Amino acid sequence: MTAAFDVVTALLELENLEVVYHRVATAIQGVSLRVPPAQIVTLLGTNGAGKTTTLRAASGFLGADNAQIVGGRVVFQGATVTGHKPHELARRGLVLVPERDKVFETLTVQENLRALVPGVRADADPTRPPVTLEQVFHYFPVLAKRRRQLAGYLSGGERQMLALATALLCRPRVLLVDELSLGLAPLVVESLMTLVARLRDELGLAVLLVEQNAGAALAVANYGYVMEHGRIVYDGPAERLLAHEDVREFYLGVGHRADRKRYTDVKQYQRRRRWF
Amino acid sequence: MPLGGGYFKTTYAGDLALVDTRLRRTALAAALLALLLLPRFASSFVLDLITQTALAAIGALALNLLTGLAGQVSLGHAGFIAAGAFTTGVLVEHRMPSPLLALPAAALVGAVLGVVVGIPALRLKGLYLALGTLALHHVVLYACGEFQNHWGANTGVSIPPPRFGGFVLKGTIAWYYALTAIAGLVLVLSVNLQRSRTGRAWMAIRDREIAAESVGIDVARYKVLAFVWSSALTSVAGALFAYQRAFVSVEAFGFFLAIEYIAMVIIGGLGSALGAVLGAAFVTLLPYGIDTAVAALRVPGGAEYYLFPLKFGAFGLLMAAFLVFEPQGLVGVWRRVRNWVFLWPLRYRPLRSAS
Repeated sequence: MTAAFDVVTALLELENLEVVYHRVATAIQGVSLRVPPAQIVTLLGTNGAGKTTTLRAASGFLGADNAQIVGGRVVFQGATVTGHKPHELARRGLVLVPERDKVFETLTVQENLRALVPGVRADADPTRPPVTLEQVFHYFPVLAKRRRQLAGYLSGGERQMLALATALLCRPRVLLVDELSLGLAPLVVESLMTLVARLRDELGLAVLLVEQNAGAALAVANYGYVMEHGRIVYDGPAERLLAHEDVREFYLGVGHRADRKRYTDVKQYQRRRRWF
Repeated sequence: MPLGGGYFKTTYAGDLALVDTRLRRTALAAALLALLLLPRFASSFVLDLITQTALAAIGALALNLLTGLAGQVSLGHAGFIAAGAFTTGVLVEHRMPSPLLALPAAALVGAVLGVVVGIPALRLKGLYLALGTLALHHVVLYACGEFQNHWGANTGVSIPPPRFGGFVLKGTIAWYYALTAIAGLVLVLSVNLQRSRTGRAWMAIRDREIAAESVGIDVARYKVLAFVWSSALTSVAGALFAYQRAFVSVEAFGFFLAIEYIAMVIIGGLGSALGAVLGAAFVTLLPYGIDTAVAALRVPGGAEYYLFPLKFGAFGLLMAAFLVFEPQGLVGVWRRVRNWVFLWPLRYRPLRSAS
């Protein structure tokens, strides 16, 4: 898989992205990543690392936070779309599932699924997966059961599913997902991740998955990037990340070495976190 | 100051100091000296403009406490000003023209009105609160109008210049010193309120009411308190307004005045005392600025006919432009300039390094 990875043209490509908040504070710098077709790429990192900023830069949502892209570009399907409006990108097939405020809480599940604008040229584009309401209900049977309920009464996991379903109905080529696992029980996270993997395998969807829960994300991802302090510090296929000693220790919490228990060792840990 | 430089406070007193760096102390001293010596150099027109700005700044600072810090929109601000002005008017009519009585009385009336509007406001939010306070404005204006019709010879009440013992406050320079001093006091008061427990409680309520309540802030009490502080200060501004203009009439306190005050805090920058002062200056000086611009352009005769609507139009346009392009207001511009200077030659604050 590693060999094939570079050959395939990426659907979404970020090149040397630099984002500044409030026209003063740099949040991310030199961020480059690629999302090839029919693959799940995950962006890992602690909070404050710049994951969400990266995602918002890619999907055009920075304006709401008084931030702007000051360097680099976003390339979607070969066209530069840096700084395009979110709705425009969504219609082209670059769809974001945001971290919060992702469903209309005063509408029912069914109304939520209907209240969306599919891409204007979505039908003409054969590469975009045709997604029907039946298909969505097939992937998310819970939503079919609760179709007449208000979205505000859904549980966290169900809400996440509804958001995914709404995004799916926009017939995305690339799905950007922010913190799928946030605040959910491990079992729910696992089933959601499996669902995302099924969407990739059965619909050929490309997914950029931003996650703090590295274990859950790497279980389904093909490729992973690790972000720290606004920079990408490490990347590689999922298997390589899972095998990497530092990733295992800092993001998966396994593989503690016995000699790192003391405070001085923790300081050592702090220094060692820099991969290069 | 959230800057990357190496300025750290090492003592508790240093942390508490209102004016904390040498640069700020120097700037403050220079500003005070300039204000003190200005009457020697400036024309009485300039002094009058500054006096008006100072008067507006008192009201704007008061509104900033309510809208900027506590997050409660008020369209009834002109009502509070009218209440203060007419308190003075009533006292004058009853042969009690002393400002030593009128100013505290105005504050008291304002505070009571603050409670009156603050308690129902606990149940109102956003647009409903705006309408509720607008209703208060009309009620107060109606009451003032009734008073004016019955006792004020229908046109208004004349107010004698304030007298403190043998000293009579009269003339441009005296008013300039008096009002800039009072505005300065109110500025210090409002900055201190902002730094105190009360101010922080207000900001917590503004930012997230439920979170504020869950950390033990009595939301109801602090909201009413915000209304009380704001309306009391505003009424005092109204009383000062009455004394300075030497005349009180309902016509001066229309809806447009309320809009002007809202404009001051928004254009200046919500939640910032400096912003309120800048906004007050901006809104007060704007009509004169437009006049000057028009005079400089030498508009052909006849076009003056359109000048009056032009002023209103420019005012509205500028306010809209500020909301769109500079939501943080004049204070945002100031912060940007300051950041630019402090970060130079860098354009942005760099990423913190991983260590």
